[in-house]
Amino acid sequence: MENRKLRIALTKGRIEEKAVGLLEKIGYDVKNLREKGRKLILSIPDEDIEVVLAKAADVITYVEHGVCDLGVVGKDTIMEHGGKFYEIADLGFGKCRFALAVKKGTDFFAGYGVKTVATKYPNVTRNYFEKKGIDVDIVKIEGSVELAPLVGLADGIVDIVETGTTLKENGLEVCEDVAPISARLIVNTVSMKLKQERIQEIVSHIEENLK
Amino acid sequence: MKRNDLLTPEGTRDLLFEECKAKREISERLTGLFESSGYSEVITPGLEFFDVFNGYVRDFPQEMMYKLVDGKNRLMVLRPDSTMPIARLAATRLRDEKLPLKLFYNQNIYMVNPKDSGRDDEISQCGIEILGGDSARADFEALVLAAKALELCDEDYRIEIGDMGIFTELMAEYECSVELAVNTRNWIETKDFPKLDEYYSSENDGGFARAFKALPRLFGGIEVLEKAKEYLHGEFFDQKLESLEQLCEDLSKVIPKEKIRVDLGLLSRKNYYTGIIFRGYVEGYGQPALSGGRYDRLLGDFGRDAGAVGFAVNVEAVARVLLQKNGDNFKRSPDVIVWSETPVLALKHCSELIAKGCCAVNSVLGSIEQTREYAKMHGIKRIDIVNNDEKITSEEV
Repeated sequence: MENRKLRIALTKGRIEEKAVGLLEKIGYDVKNLREKGRKLILSIPDEDIEVVLAKAADVITYVEHGVCDLGVVGKDTIMEHGGKFYEIADLGFGKCRFALAVKKGTDFFAGYGVKTVATKYPNVTRNYFEKKGIDVDIVKIEGSVELAPLVGLADGIVDIVETGTTLKENGLEVCEDVAPISARLIVNTVSMKLKQERIQEIVSHIEENLK
Repeated sequence: MKRNDLLTPEGTRDLLFEECKAKREISERLTGLFESSGYSEVITPGLEFFDVFNGYVRDFPQEMMYKLVDGKNRLMVLRPDSTMPIARLAATRLRDEKLPLKLFYNQNIYMVNPKDSGRDDEISQCGIEILGGDSARADFEALVLAAKALELCDEDYRIEIGDMGIFTELMAEYECSVELAVNTRNWIETKDFPKLDEYYSSENDGGFARAFKALPRLFGGIEVLEKAKEYLHGEFFDQKLESLEQLCEDLSKVIPKEKIRVDLGLLSRKNYYTGIIFRGYVEGYGQPALSGGRYDRLLGDFGRDAGAVGFAVNVEAVARVLLQKNGDNFKRSPDVIVWSETPVLALKHCSELIAKGCCAVNSVLGSIEQTREYAKMHGIKRIDIVNNDEKITSEEV
């Protein structure tokens, strides 16, 4: 366990692109990140930093266990998975929201019956309705959640909504916003203390470039 | 039906060979330290009644406890924490013992972690509790002992100090709903700056918003305490910060200053902490290796009014770091293997070797050839063959 490089985990995909852009803006040489091929660990030339690419939930796991010091991950994943880490900055990109959507023209809250909600995010959904003090049945769906109310499996869905186009095209509409989402910078609790200066240096660079 | 007879439950593991040795090494170093500092050992039952851990002050989350029922159908749990049973002990069997009492323990705790999280459900802890006494002196002793304990575990350590009392006092003065208080505590504890900035965006509330936003940012070296004065005003906070400063300064006379960290955003979900709280970190382990603090309400909750302070080290986690860093020290092959036609003679020779300080292993294999092969496989460098006249021939492997 010799002093390893500072490790940043990025969520693959859209968040990765934006995050790489941010790293470039700060002044890091990101050519390895742009031409990554199939590599999963990439170094930043002339810096004591390496970048790890992972799926969103795994970014949390790696940071939580301390094998990565920092991570960039969506608030949606944080809300669904939870975990112990510091969530120190809202990076402002990857903006969207969790919303409760129903078939156009229906009232989700009407009547006494227990409602069924389909979602890819059972924890977010449970916490939301628990807070409202409403009993609901939650059905976990892996693919396109919009299908569930259309075929009659659920009364509503809780899902990520960006523009609302998918909802509209399928005859659904937002009934309530659940929570706003954007990409967050997370830090392992021990790294934050043992490597405070280096991490704070990076964080302040990032914050300067967010403004 | 699928039988689960070849697996250990998630969050548990079999420890083998050098893992056991490293773990024993750490617990021996720690118990040695505690014992020589005048602490007395206690062992509390692995099974306790649910009620010991459930209440307002004792609020171990019930979903995290392993539960079972006793013969009278009463709810029991596998001990999820050692401090609460020791507080129970202090208020019952030890109630006639004069305070202060200094106790140490070396035992396992059990908790249910989220599935597939890779966390340990069985955690071996070695720790101390100082019950009663002058709180400033007891806090200082606990911190010094914590630092010494960490040093015995790993030279590359940090001890970090915070104070639950600051947040509690702020909240008491702020007078908000319980829900907001819990949320604010969580935001500060997880350094959720975006959420704090969003919720406490207006600063026209007598400085509370400023203070809540500042707490999690106030971490680093001892100088942080000076900076904190910009955000925390009033007699209570002046005194608090002064006593923390004093504590850190005293501590810096015992251990190197750079090992001491301060984090005023260090809070605990454990409701029983009232004063200082502290954590110990070692390089190579992603979670705190040591944690502790002052709990002045817990004993009272069991019917004996007294303050206390204590901490526990996660022995197995530290042992794993030790193994990673110098595992070779724990992998020692026996020095000699002894074989004889007559087992009595072999064992006799073994005893003689052991008495001389050798690690000698008796071969239980049927022939010398098999013994040679075994020695080669296990890296044993020497074979002693005892013939029937008790003459010994040594072979190098």
